Amino acid sequence: MSGAPAAGQVCPSRSYTHSPVQLFRFSAVSWNSHRIHYDAGYAASEGFPGVVVQSTLHGETLSRRALDWAGPGAALESVSWRNRATAVAGEPLTWTGTVRAAEPCDGGTRVTLDVAVVKGDGVPCVTGLVELSWRAGRTSP
Amino acid sequence: MSAVLDEVLARARGLVGEWESEDCGVLAVKDFCRYAAALNDVGYLRRARAQEAAGDEVAAPALFLAGTMSWQDGPVEHELRPDGLAVRESPCTEGLPVRQVHGGQTVRLRQAPVAGTRVTAARAVTSADLRQGRTGDFVLLGVTTRFTAQDGAELMAMDETIVVLEGP
Repeated sequence: MSGAPAAGQVCPSRSYTHSPVQLFRFSAVSWNSHRIHYDAGYAASEGFPGVVVQSTLHGETLSRRALDWAGPGAALESVSWRNRATAVAGEPLTWTGTVRAAEPCDGGTRVTLDVAVVKGDGVPCVTGLVELSWRAGRTSP
Repeated sequence: MSAVLDEVLARARGLVGEWESEDCGVLAVKDFCRYAAALNDVGYLRRARAQEAAGDEVAAPALFLAGTMSWQDGPVEHELRPDGLAVRESPCTEGLPVRQVHGGQTVRLRQAPVAGTRVTAARAVTSADLRQGRTGDFVLLGVTTRFTAQDGAELMAMDETIVVLEGP
Protein backbone atom coordinates (compact mmCIF):
# COMPACT_ATOMS: atom_id res chain seq x y z
CA MET A 1 0.00 0.00 0.00
CA SER A 2 1.30 3.45 -0.83
CA GLY A 3 0.03 6.47 1.12
CA ALA A 4 -2.90 6.65 3.51
CA PRO A 5 -5.83 4.43 2.52
CA ALA A 6 -9.03 6.16 1.44
CA ALA A 7 -12.56 4.96 0.82
CA GLY A 8 -12.98 3.75 -2.73
CA GLN A 9 -9.33 2.86 -3.19
CA VAL A 10 -8.98 -0.35 -5.18
CA CYS A 11 -6.26 -2.75 -4.06
CA PRO A 12 -4.16 -4.53 -6.68
CA SER A 13 -5.81 -7.87 -7.37
CA ARG A 14 -3.94 -11.13 -6.76
CA SER A 15 -4.33 -14.28 -8.86
CA TYR A 16 -3.61 -17.77 -7.58
CA THR A 17 -4.73 -21.40 -7.52
CA HIS A 18 -4.96 -23.97 -4.74
CA SER A 19 -3.35 -27.34 -5.48
CA PRO A 20 -4.95 -30.65 -4.45
CA VAL A 21 -1.95 -31.16 -2.17
CA GLN A 22 -2.62 -27.87 -0.40
CA LEU A 23 -6.28 -28.75 0.12
CA PHE A 24 -5.30 -32.13 1.58
CA ARG A 25 -2.71 -30.57 3.89
CA PHE A 26 -5.09 -27.82 5.01
CA SER A 27 -7.75 -30.43 5.77
CA ALA A 28 -5.18 -32.39 7.74
CA VAL A 29 -3.92 -29.52 9.89
CA SER A 30 -7.42 -28.22 10.51
CA TRP A 31 -8.73 -31.74 11.30
CA ASN A 32 -11.40 -31.33 8.62
CA SER A 33 -12.21 -34.79 7.30
CA HIS A 34 -15.05 -33.85 4.94
CA ARG A 35 -14.36 -35.95 1.84
CA ILE A 36 -15.19 -33.26 -0.72
CA HIS A 37 -11.85 -31.62 0.13
CA TYR A 38 -9.49 -34.55 -0.65
CA ASP A 39 -11.48 -37.37 -2.31
CA ALA A 40 -12.07 -36.44 -5.96
CA GLY A 41 -14.39 -39.41 -6.53
CA TYR A 42 -16.58 -38.41 -3.62
CA ALA A 43 -16.54 -34.75 -4.72
CA ALA A 44 -17.69 -35.90 -8.20
CA SER A 45 -20.54 -37.85 -6.62
CA GLU A 46 -21.73 -34.56 -5.15
CA GLY A 47 -21.49 -32.86 -8.53
CA PHE A 48 -18.18 -31.05 -8.12
CA PRO A 49 -15.55 -31.09 -10.91
CA GLY A 50 -12.69 -31.48 -8.42
CA VAL A 51 -11.82 -31.41 -4.75
CA VAL A 52 -13.43 -28.39 -3.12
CA VAL A 53 -11.62 -25.43 -1.55
CA GLN A 54 -12.42 -25.20 2.15
CA SER A 55 -14.46 -22.22 3.31
CA THR A 56 -11.88 -21.54 6.01
CA LEU A 57 -9.11 -21.54 3.40
CA HIS A 58 -11.02 -18.83 1.55
CA GLY A 59 -11.17 -16.95 4.86
CA GLU A 60 -7.40 -17.22 5.16
CA THR A 61 -6.97 -15.90 1.63
CA LEU A 62 -9.32 -12.98 2.19
CA SER A 63 -7.45 -11.84 5.28
CA ARG A 64 -3.88 -12.72 4.28
CA ARG A 65 -4.06 -10.89 0.93
CA ALA A 66 -5.51 -7.87 2.75
CA LEU A 67 -2.62 -7.93 5.23
CA ASP A 68 -0.15 -8.28 2.34
CA TRP A 69 -1.68 -5.19 0.76
CA ALA A 70 -1.59 -3.26 4.04
CA GLY A 71 2.06 -3.98 4.75
CA PRO A 72 4.02 -3.95 8.04
CA GLY A 73 2.24 -2.69 11.14
CA ALA A 74 -1.23 -3.84 10.16
CA ALA A 75 -3.16 -6.34 12.25
CA LEU A 76 -6.29 -8.30 11.52
CA GLU A 77 -9.26 -7.21 13.65
CA SER A 78 -12.02 -9.22 12.01
CA VAL A 79 -12.96 -11.06 8.86
CA SER A 80 -16.36 -12.15 7.67
CA TRP A 81 -17.44 -13.83 4.50
CA ARG A 82 -20.33 -15.50 2.78
CA ASN A 83 -19.88 -18.53 0.53
CA ARG A 84 -21.54 -17.99 -2.84
CA ALA A 85 -20.05 -20.53 -5.26
CA THR A 86 -17.76 -23.53 -5.03
CA ALA A 87 -14.11 -23.38 -6.09
CA VAL A 88 -12.03 -26.46 -6.79
CA ALA A 89 -8.33 -27.31 -6.83
CA GLY A 90 -6.46 -25.99 -9.85
CA GLU A 91 -9.09 -23.40 -10.68
CA PRO A 92 -7.76 -19.89 -11.40
CA LEU A 93 -8.95 -17.55 -8.65
CA THR A 94 -8.45 -13.86 -7.99
CA TRP A 95 -8.50 -11.94 -4.71
CA THR A 96 -9.99 -8.46 -4.95
CA GLY A 97 -10.24 -5.73 -2.36
CA THR A 98 -11.62 -2.19 -2.16
CA VAL A 99 -11.36 0.19 0.79
CA ARG A 100 -14.83 0.77 2.21
CA ALA A 101 -13.77 3.01 5.09
CA ALA A 102 -10.69 4.35 6.83
CA GLU A 103 -11.12 6.02 10.21
CA PRO A 104 -9.12 6.88 13.32
CA CYS A 105 -9.18 4.41 16.23
CA ASP A 106 -7.29 4.23 19.53
CA GLY A 107 -4.42 6.35 18.34
CA GLY A 108 -4.21 4.53 15.03
CA THR A 109 -6.28 3.82 11.96
CA ARG A 110 -8.90 1.21 11.18
CA VAL A 111 -9.51 0.23 7.59
CA THR A 112 -12.47 -1.81 6.35
CA LEU A 113 -12.08 -3.58 3.03
CA ASP A 114 -14.72 -5.15 0.82
CA VAL A 115 -13.02 -8.34 -0.32
CA ALA A 116 -13.85 -11.23 -2.59
CA VAL A 117 -12.45 -14.35 -4.22
CA VAL A 118 -13.57 -14.43 -7.83
CA LYS A 119 -13.56 -17.27 -10.37
CA GLY A 120 -12.16 -16.96 -13.88
CA ASP A 121 -15.59 -16.15 -15.31
CA GLY A 122 -16.08 -13.34 -12.81
CA VAL A 123 -18.43 -15.24 -10.51
CA PRO A 124 -17.61 -14.59 -6.83
CA CYS A 125 -16.87 -17.67 -4.68
CA VAL A 126 -16.86 -15.70 -1.46
CA THR A 127 -17.52 -12.08 -0.60
CA GLY A 128 -16.90 -10.38 2.69
CA LEU A 129 -15.26 -7.73 4.82
CA VAL A 130 -11.84 -7.50 6.42
CA GLU A 131 -11.08 -5.03 9.21
CA LEU A 132 -7.44 -4.07 9.75
CA SER A 133 -5.88 -1.67 12.22
CA TRP A 134 -2.63 0.16 12.62
CA ARG A 135 -1.68 1.50 16.02
CA ALA A 136 1.16 3.82 16.93
CA GLY A 137 4.30 1.94 17.95
CA ARG A 138 3.32 -1.37 16.40
CA THR A 139 5.79 -2.51 13.82
CA SER A 140 4.52 -5.93 12.89
CA PRO A 141 1.17 -7.68 12.76
CA MET B 1 -41.26 -28.82 4.57
CA SER B 2 -39.88 -32.38 4.53
CA ALA B 3 -40.00 -34.57 7.61
CA VAL B 4 -36.19 -34.68 7.59
CA LEU B 5 -35.76 -30.91 7.67
CA ASP B 6 -38.58 -30.70 10.20
CA GLU B 7 -36.57 -33.01 12.47
CA VAL B 8 -33.37 -30.98 11.96
CA LEU B 9 -35.24 -27.80 12.84
CA ALA B 10 -36.82 -29.34 15.94
CA ARG B 11 -33.48 -30.67 17.20
CA ALA B 12 -31.71 -27.39 16.50
CA ARG B 13 -34.33 -25.27 18.22
CA GLY B 14 -34.04 -27.53 21.24
CA LEU B 15 -30.34 -26.76 21.40
CA VAL B 16 -30.45 -22.99 20.92
CA GLY B 17 -28.60 -21.30 23.74
CA GLU B 18 -27.20 -24.54 25.18
CA TRP B 19 -23.45 -23.89 25.48
CA GLU B 20 -20.99 -26.76 25.38
CA SER B 21 -17.37 -26.28 26.38
CA GLU B 22 -14.44 -28.18 24.97
CA ASP B 23 -10.81 -28.22 26.08
CA CYS B 24 -8.69 -27.38 23.03
CA GLY B 25 -5.52 -28.32 24.89
CA VAL B 26 -2.30 -26.36 25.21
CA LEU B 27 -1.30 -24.51 22.05
CA ALA B 28 2.05 -25.54 20.58
CA VAL B 29 4.48 -23.94 18.15
CA LYS B 30 4.58 -27.19 16.17
CA ASP B 31 0.85 -26.97 15.48
CA PHE B 32 1.14 -23.29 14.52
CA CYS B 33 3.96 -24.08 12.11
CA ARG B 34 2.19 -26.99 10.47
CA TYR B 35 -0.88 -24.80 9.97
CA ALA B 36 1.29 -22.06 8.45
CA ALA B 37 3.12 -24.58 6.27
CA ALA B 38 -0.19 -25.78 4.82
CA LEU B 39 -0.74 -22.15 3.82
CA ASN B 40 2.79 -21.95 2.33
CA ASP B 41 3.61 -19.19 4.84
CA VAL B 42 7.40 -19.50 4.95
CA GLY B 43 7.78 -16.15 6.69
CA TYR B 44 5.70 -17.31 9.65
CA LEU B 45 7.76 -20.50 10.00
CA ARG B 46 11.04 -18.59 10.14
CA ARG B 47 9.68 -15.94 12.51
CA ALA B 48 8.01 -18.38 14.89
CA ARG B 49 11.02 -20.64 15.23
CA ALA B 50 13.33 -17.65 15.73
CA GLN B 51 11.02 -16.28 18.45
CA GLU B 52 10.90 -19.67 20.12
CA ALA B 53 14.69 -20.01 20.03
CA ALA B 54 15.02 -16.55 21.58
CA GLY B 55 12.60 -17.45 24.35
CA ASP B 56 10.00 -14.97 23.13
CA GLU B 57 6.25 -15.52 22.96
CA VAL B 58 5.05 -17.13 19.75
CA ALA B 59 1.62 -16.02 18.60
CA ALA B 60 -0.54 -18.34 16.52
CA PRO B 61 -1.37 -17.53 12.91
CA ALA B 62 -4.27 -15.07 13.17
CA LEU B 63 -7.00 -17.51 12.15
CA PHE B 64 -5.48 -20.68 13.63
CA LEU B 65 -8.26 -21.16 16.20
CA ALA B 66 -11.03 -20.37 13.73
CA GLY B 67 -9.50 -22.54 11.03
CA THR B 68 -9.27 -25.63 13.19
CA MET B 69 -12.49 -27.55 12.72
CA SER B 70 -12.22 -29.87 15.69
CA TRP B 71 -10.13 -30.21 18.83
CA GLN B 72 -11.14 -33.78 19.53
CA ASP B 73 -8.67 -36.67 19.39
CA GLY B 74 -11.05 -38.60 17.16
CA PRO B 75 -13.28 -39.98 15.96
CA VAL B 76 -11.76 -43.02 14.31
CA GLU B 77 -12.68 -43.65 10.69
CA HIS B 78 -15.57 -46.05 11.18
CA GLU B 79 -17.31 -43.49 13.38
CA LEU B 80 -17.35 -40.82 10.67
CA ARG B 81 -20.46 -40.02 8.68
CA PRO B 82 -20.40 -41.13 5.01
CA ASP B 83 -19.35 -37.63 3.98
CA GLY B 84 -16.37 -37.79 6.34
CA LEU B 85 -17.69 -35.39 8.95
CA ALA B 86 -17.70 -36.28 12.60
CA VAL B 87 -21.05 -36.31 14.36
CA ARG B 88 -20.08 -33.34 16.52
CA GLU B 89 -19.25 -31.28 13.43
CA SER B 90 -22.72 -31.98 12.20
CA PRO B 91 -25.03 -30.56 14.86
CA CYS B 92 -28.67 -31.65 14.88
CA THR B 93 -28.33 -34.06 11.95
CA GLU B 94 -27.08 -37.35 13.42
CA GLY B 95 -28.62 -40.27 11.55
CA LEU B 96 -30.53 -38.10 9.10
CA PRO B 97 -30.10 -38.14 5.28
CA VAL B 98 -28.86 -34.59 4.83
CA ARG B 99 -26.06 -32.66 3.18
CA GLN B 100 -24.40 -29.71 4.83
CA VAL B 101 -22.71 -26.70 3.32
CA HIS B 102 -20.82 -23.98 5.11
CA GLY B 103 -22.70 -20.75 4.56
CA GLY B 104 -20.21 -18.25 5.88
CA GLN B 105 -18.35 -17.04 8.91
CA THR B 106 -17.49 -13.99 10.98
CA VAL B 107 -14.34 -14.03 13.10
CA ARG B 108 -13.53 -11.30 15.60
CA LEU B 109 -10.01 -11.37 17.02
CA ARG B 110 -9.63 -10.12 20.59
CA GLN B 111 -6.20 -11.23 21.78
CA ALA B 112 -3.58 -13.23 19.92
CA PRO B 113 -3.27 -16.75 21.36
CA VAL B 114 0.31 -17.68 22.17
CA ALA B 115 2.03 -21.03 22.50
CA GLY B 116 1.69 -22.51 25.97
CA THR B 117 -1.84 -21.19 26.47
CA ARG B 118 -4.57 -23.66 27.40
CA VAL B 119 -7.65 -22.75 25.38
CA THR B 120 -11.31 -23.56 25.88
CA ALA B 121 -13.92 -23.35 23.14
CA ALA B 122 -17.55 -22.77 24.14
CA ARG B 123 -20.01 -23.48 21.34
CA ALA B 124 -23.76 -23.15 20.93
CA VAL B 125 -26.41 -23.22 18.27
CA THR B 126 -27.74 -19.67 18.28
CA SER B 127 -30.43 -19.82 15.61
CA ALA B 128 -32.30 -22.27 13.41
CA ASP B 129 -34.56 -21.15 10.59
CA LEU B 130 -36.28 -22.72 7.62
CA ARG B 131 -35.46 -20.97 4.37
CA GLN B 132 -36.52 -21.38 0.78
CA GLY B 133 -33.87 -21.42 -1.93
CA ARG B 134 -33.89 -21.80 -5.69
CA THR B 135 -33.51 -25.56 -5.37
CA GLY B 136 -35.81 -26.11 -2.44
CA ASP B 137 -36.09 -25.75 1.30
CA PHE B 138 -33.14 -25.80 3.67
CA VAL B 139 -32.43 -25.19 7.33
CA LEU B 140 -30.02 -22.40 8.19
CA LEU B 141 -28.20 -22.98 11.47
CA GLY B 142 -26.30 -20.27 13.31
CA VAL B 143 -23.45 -21.48 15.52
CA THR B 144 -21.28 -19.31 17.77
CA THR B 145 -17.94 -20.34 19.24
CA ARG B 146 -16.01 -18.35 21.85
CA PHE B 147 -12.37 -19.15 22.56
CA THR B 148 -10.93 -18.21 25.94
CA ALA B 149 -7.55 -18.62 27.64
CA GLN B 150 -7.10 -20.23 31.04
CA ASP B 151 -7.12 -16.78 32.69
CA GLY B 152 -10.56 -16.12 31.23
CA ALA B 153 -9.38 -13.70 28.54
CA GLU B 154 -11.42 -13.91 25.36
CA LEU B 155 -9.19 -14.71 22.42
CA MET B 156 -11.66 -14.91 19.57
CA ALA B 157 -15.36 -15.08 18.81
CA MET B 158 -16.74 -16.75 15.73
CA ASP B 159 -20.20 -16.91 14.19
CA GLU B 160 -20.87 -19.48 11.47
CA THR B 161 -23.84 -20.37 9.34
CA ILE B 162 -24.45 -23.94 8.22
CA VAL B 163 -26.88 -24.81 5.44
CA VAL B 164 -28.62 -28.17 5.89
CA LEU B 165 -30.21 -29.68 2.78
CA GLU B 166 -32.12 -32.93 2.39
CA GLY B 167 -30.41 -35.95 0.81
CA PRO B 168 -28.74 -37.93 -0.52
